[in-house]
Amino acid sequence: MGKIPAFVVAKLLRFLTRLRGGGSAFPGYVLLKLRPTILTDSLGHLADGIVFVSGSNGKSTTTTMVVSLLRAHGKTVFSNPAGGNLPQGLASAVAATASLTGRISADVAVLEVDEAYGGIIADAITPDWVVLTNLQVDQLNRFGEPEHVYALLHDLAQRATRGVLVNAGDPNLRAMGTQLQAAGHHVFWVEISPEAASSAPHGLVPAEVFPEIPGNLTGDPVATLGAVEGSNATLAVGGERVDVKLPGPGLHYAVDATLAAGMARVLLGSELSSPTLAEAMSDSQPVFGRGEKITYRGTEVSLIMMKNLPSLQVNIDALTTRPDVTWVAVDEGTPDPSWIYDVDLGVIDHIDVITGTKAWQWALLCEHRGIPYGEVIQPTAEALDRVVALAAAKGSPVTAVVNYEQMMLIRRIAGYKELEGSS
Amino acid sequence: MSQWFTIARIVPERLGLNGTAASGEILAATLRHRGHQVSLVDVHGPEGAPSTVDIVTLGSTSTSQIAPTTTELISLVRIFQSWKDQGAWWVGIGVGWDVLGTHITLSDGERLPGAGIFPTSADHRPGRLMGEVVGTDYRGRPSAGYVNQVGVSELGDGVVPLMDFTGAPDGFPSTDGAVGERLWGTRLGGPALALNPHWSADIVSGVLASRGLSSAPSEFDERVEDVASKARSLIENRVLNRR
Repeated sequence: MGKIPAFVVAKLLRFLTRLRGGGSAFPGYVLLKLRPTILTDSLGHLADGIVFVSGSNGKSTTTTMVVSLLRAHGKTVFSNPAGGNLPQGLASAVAATASLTGRISADVAVLEVDEAYGGIIADAITPDWVVLTNLQVDQLNRFGEPEHVYALLHDLAQRATRGVLVNAGDPNLRAMGTQLQAAGHHVFWVEISPEAASSAPHGLVPAEVFPEIPGNLTGDPVATLGAVEGSNATLAVGGERVDVKLPGPGLHYAVDATLAAGMARVLLGSELSSPTLAEAMSDSQPVFGRGEKITYRGTEVSLIMMKNLPSLQVNIDALTTRPDVTWVAVDEGTPDPSWIYDVDLGVIDHIDVITGTKAWQWALLCEHRGIPYGEVIQPTAEALDRVVALAAAKGSPVTAVVNYEQMMLIRRIAGYKELEGSS
Repeated sequence: MSQWFTIARIVPERLGLNGTAASGEILAATLRHRGHQVSLVDVHGPEGAPSTVDIVTLGSTSTSQIAPTTTELISLVRIFQSWKDQGAWWVGIGVGWDVLGTHITLSDGERLPGAGIFPTSADHRPGRLMGEVVGTDYRGRPSAGYVNQVGVSELGDGVVPLMDFTGAPDGFPSTDGAVGERLWGTRLGGPALALNPHWSADIVSGVLASRGLSSAPSEFDERVEDVASKARSLIENRVLNRR
């Protein structure tokens, strides 16, 4: 189908799905069917190129930060919404932004790319740059094991025409960067100081794929994370010290910020301004649903995403005080929750309500750990009412550990109608 | 009368992917609720390994770690044999079970020697199996779990399958695991002992009986079985609905 009719259909579908509060990926799915070359048509001409951001965790936050930094320096940036990192999500973002002729007016595209679909997306639109955040144990029911993800990320990195930026604090990516350099690829890297890495009780939590291979990256890092304390981090970029405020407390946010600063340095060179970097970073907010705080019936509900072990662990590590009211809500979106036995619950010493089809598996963990738990309430709406009533009685917020699907449901129940990334 | 028991977790930082190191923690809780005291010891090599243990647990790992793990375990084989001779119970999950067998055939056909504790061998050439499973165990009890492991096993003399599947994804074998004299191996996660507390109770009762102690279930055993049966029931519903 021609570009204009395809975009008319996609934009109409987008309008209709938003009217009913439905999913954001469907218009993109249809657009790709009608016009398979849509990504190249719309993004292939951008002067400063295309950046892919991939890895196990931190993709959304790093992407958002890179976009903020570039915009703060006057660049016009196209990006996909957080979590919209599959081909159809990307196409939906194009449908939302492009003119009816499919044209996108931007200097550069910064795209979050799912690690399993990176190769497919790269088939449709070649990346100039690839940023790799980390390789951690993630969604084993989907990927089997981290070795498979290493191969996917390595394949994606090789597709970058101008360069790859890796987080050298992850031994797997340090090894991959070394391999890529040896093969003649242009590799940039960010360094994580031992002091910063040890600021979290469980460190950076990399997968053990190539822990024994010492990466010998040549050259200097484009950015270094020196220290992290709560929501503050100290970076070194372009020979200058930059103190930044993070969207939330935790080493993971600091690593994402370092990668973003590193990518901005690669793209902007000496035009990168340290004061502008610090100001833009300080304005950044938690990405949709990741450490997000919502309000329901006057009570604050803090959403901690249960995506995978490293991500959940760093978010729990970042809790500094014992939560008064805790809620766990996990359903079929987490097909195999076996890894909860690897989580150190830290300051969480009780769970008031457990919800979802995996609730009884969480209850089993509590039984064996001697962690008191209250009620198992299956319907999410009923459970939300219950925890909010408990929290109101105590004058406390709710700390909720939720998987993605429950997070979306809770947000809808609480009246947060906007779709992911569209807020 | 309360007694001390020692549970050895073998290289849990390597053999512990996806909750599979939890067997020690679950067995310790079961023993403690029966009034006993438990020392959970992480064993990283011959140095510091306890001279006697009651239960040895090994979790699973990813494919790139299998060869390094078998190399690492070579230094422990003598100690393993000593513990076996003393009457220790063995619990292996996935690769942790495979390395206790006679040998492992890797996906590329390379054959690695095992520790020879189990009369079983593993073949990783059939590839990875993933999905929820339900069935009945070697005593006819409802059992369930989630499998995400490579390969299949061949059972030798003196061991029987832990579980017959009544519901499993396409391509799965009809059984899982092995139970023998003080030997217990499976490819189930979940973790398996939490979702199936009757297995945990079997192992703990066996350990207690070997010291002439009462193996009567505790209130904890009954409560955990009640919770586990609800978790298994949901797994069963999902497995049956996918048919």
